[in-house]
Amino acid sequence: MPNFNIDSTKKNSFDAIVIGSGMSGGWAAKEFTEKGLKTLVLERGREVSHVENYPTTNLMPWELKHANVVPEKIKKENPIAARCYNFKEDSQHFFTKDKEQPYIQEKRFDWIRGYQTGGKSLLWARQTQRLSDFDFEGPARDGFAVDWPIRYKDLAPWYSYVEKFVGISGEYDGLDVLPDGEFLKSMGLNATEEYFKKVIAEKYKNQRHVIYGRCAHITETKDIFIQQGRGMCQTRDLCRRGCPFGGYFSSNSSTLPWAAKTGNLTMKHDAVVHSIIYDDKKEKATGVRVIDGNTKETTEYFAPVIFVNASAFNTNMILLNSKSNRFPNGLGNDNGLLGKYIAFHNYRMNISAEFDGNLDKTTVGRRPTSGYIPRFRNVYKQETDFLRGYAAGFYANRIVEQETDAIGPDLMENLNTAEYGNWRVGSHMMGETIPKEESTLSLDTEKVDQYGIPQLRINLDYDENDEKMNLDYVEQLTEMFEVAGFKNIKANDSKKAPGLDIHEMGGVRMGHDPKTSLLNKWNQLHACKNVYVTDGACMTSTATQNPSLTYMALTARACDHAVKESKK
Amino acid sequence: MKRRSVLKNLGLLTGGLMLMPSCSFLEKRTPIALNNLQIKIEEEELMEQLIAVILPEDNLKGGVSLGVQNFVWVMLDDCAEKKKQDTFLNGLRLFNTTVKQSYGDDFEGLSSEEKYTALTNMLNNESLNTDLIAFLHTTKHTAIWGYKNSEYYLSEVMPYNLIPGAFSYKTKTIDPNEKININA
Ligand SMILES: Cc1cc2nc3c(=O)[nH]c(=O)nc-3n(C[C@H](O)[C@H](O)[C@H](O)COP(=O)(O)OP(=O)(O)OC[C@H]3O[C@@H](n4cnc5c(N)ncnc54)[C@H](O)[C@@H]3O)c2cc1C
Repeated sequence: MPNFNIDSTKKNSFDAIVIGSGMSGGWAAKEFTEKGLKTLVLERGREVSHVENYPTTNLMPWELKHANVVPEKIKKENPIAARCYNFKEDSQHFFTKDKEQPYIQEKRFDWIRGYQTGGKSLLWARQTQRLSDFDFEGPARDGFAVDWPIRYKDLAPWYSYVEKFVGISGEYDGLDVLPDGEFLKSMGLNATEEYFKKVIAEKYKNQRHVIYGRCAHITETKDIFIQQGRGMCQTRDLCRRGCPFGGYFSSNSSTLPWAAKTGNLTMKHDAVVHSIIYDDKKEKATGVRVIDGNTKETTEYFAPVIFVNASAFNTNMILLNSKSNRFPNGLGNDNGLLGKYIAFHNYRMNISAEFDGNLDKTTVGRRPTSGYIPRFRNVYKQETDFLRGYAAGFYANRIVEQETDAIGPDLMENLNTAEYGNWRVGSHMMGETIPKEESTLSLDTEKVDQYGIPQLRINLDYDENDEKMNLDYVEQLTEMFEVAGFKNIKANDSKKAPGLDIHEMGGVRMGHDPKTSLLNKWNQLHACKNVYVTDGACMTSTATQNPSLTYMALTARACDHAVKESKK
Repeated sequence: MKRRSVLKNLGLLTGGLMLMPSCSFLEKRTPIALNNLQIKIEEEELMEQLIAVILPEDNLKGGVSLGVQNFVWVMLDDCAEKKKQDTFLNGLRLFNTTVKQSYGDDFEGLSSEEKYTALTNMLNNESLNTDLIAFLHTTKHTAIWGYKNSEYYLSEVMPYNLIPGAFSYKTKTIDPNEKININA
């Protein structure tokens, strides 16, 4: 059978391979298939098709056997996943269970994963804020990491491109720290949030802002959403179950079905990418090695362009595990920096208080977003003894109380009534952390997982800069709360480990220079140009914004580049 | 199961029926299916008696008819750590002895008013055995939770809307005459 290998190579050959079907991989799939490329998406998890595989989406609260509490047995088996606030009885099936992929924590790191069609896009909190030049110019100005090879103007059109398709509810705030985008109607801040916004603008002379958090929810009917089969957000606030209306953006509801409609998409599930194949003679990557999640058999797939979108840490793993004569230390890793300069967002501190104004008002309904305070520290110049700064969430709710001291008839009466208390207000920080050489990912030399892939070693921790920032956040937010007349202000150190921000980034950073970075300004590996990395691994610095919108914009931009390159 | 209580529950504690030699046919209560806890039928009955006192039939439906007792067991069985389960069962098993010391009879032997008084007093008595205190408060807290999570409560008392519709989130001015719906 002389032609056997050639045939199987042909059968397994595509125009593009995308590793991972999550937030960023979904975009690569959409862009490539739309542009006519036969595209293979390799997804290590099981298939979760839109609506059909959302088993809890329409359950009433009483239909959940444990009132949405995860049974102790499942918690015990999954101490890592169970630490995520969104791991509940109605959503736990979308979280990767701890035993699926053991890893080594040199310092504690809670790695939250979602291995299935759509990845973590099913589970995210849908906050979508653009980066600005205060972020892209940060490393160069403040002397950490390396300079970003792009600026806001390079990404701005791609932010717009992505936002129009995703659907972002927002308000035009006109802020230089947080550029406006293509917004659909806002669902609004409530009366107390508006009050805080006004007080802060006045007191800080428009140097600090409280805005409506921009979020990936459809709030206006438009053709582009109808074409995707997605409808308006029904404010169920049950997004973690998967939305039967497609009201929020997920790869499952949006990019993947869109890609499938072109007829150019081949999607393989239970396909665990082991490594990327590099051909020493051709001096480029030719394909990927995949282990079948069920049979554990290895198959190779081939394509002239490969996008790595397996989520930041998995992307690092795949590249580190892609060893060849040319690249003995991992694909593209000539400078030894692959897996280094990892960073994340510091979500440790939060603060709560009460407000005894607006007592004639309350809110009705549920809202899938909240207020947002863009970074105000060290924006125009360095002004504190720590680098960079933090953004913050902000929310207010009217307290509704039921008296439950009594039992019997009195209790029954109390359960039929309720009373309004004060407003409860709260905030949590989202701090920029500094990528450092000693913050690393590496592959263990002995331990392997069930697929024979070396286990990931994570070595990452808070540092002094983070500690100083924690104190500053508490000080500044306390002051802002006091200015607004909030009472009973309580700051809290949640002590949560890095990881629970679920914004891990870096390891394959972008930069100008192949000596100090792995990727160029188009997200191509400097040393292996037909491999692109456009998930969180590519981030040179973290900024303070929820990062997924930026991954999506970078992905769309890189796909455009890859297609243009292929036509040269 | 204590014969007297069965008869009383069935309103049969009168006349000639007392002559019934055995009521084994009445004892066929199906035990609740649990994964971890080993409990006796009497303990299930005691739980039901407690729920009946905590959440009695009133203008609103009572806890027992909504099966709140089962919710308490299921939550304890599946969602509590072993230590909490042990404390709970230990407290439960001290309950009747303690009731007897103060009230001269088991809980089920007390009148409705006595039950209410006994339970109220015990819930406010900080000098009781700590496991017993934990048992009482866990029971009460979980029972209220189960009640508020029931279909009845979420449909008729404080209605919950699964699909509120677009732009349903609003600030509104409070109308003092309007009933407050905690699930609105
Ligand atoms: C509870 C929660 C709240 C969040 N809130 C926000 C928010 O408000 N805003 C925001 O911007 N971000 C948020 N995030 C983060 C956001 O979900 C991620 O940034 C985003 O999903 C990352 O996209 P990705 O494509 O890199 O990875 P993912 O979406 O995780 O997708 C990666 C995919 O690759 C697959 N894969 C991994 N390894 C392999 C392999 N070896 N072979 C084949 N396939 C592989 C995975 O199975 C997965 O499907 C949140 C996340 C969570 C869990």
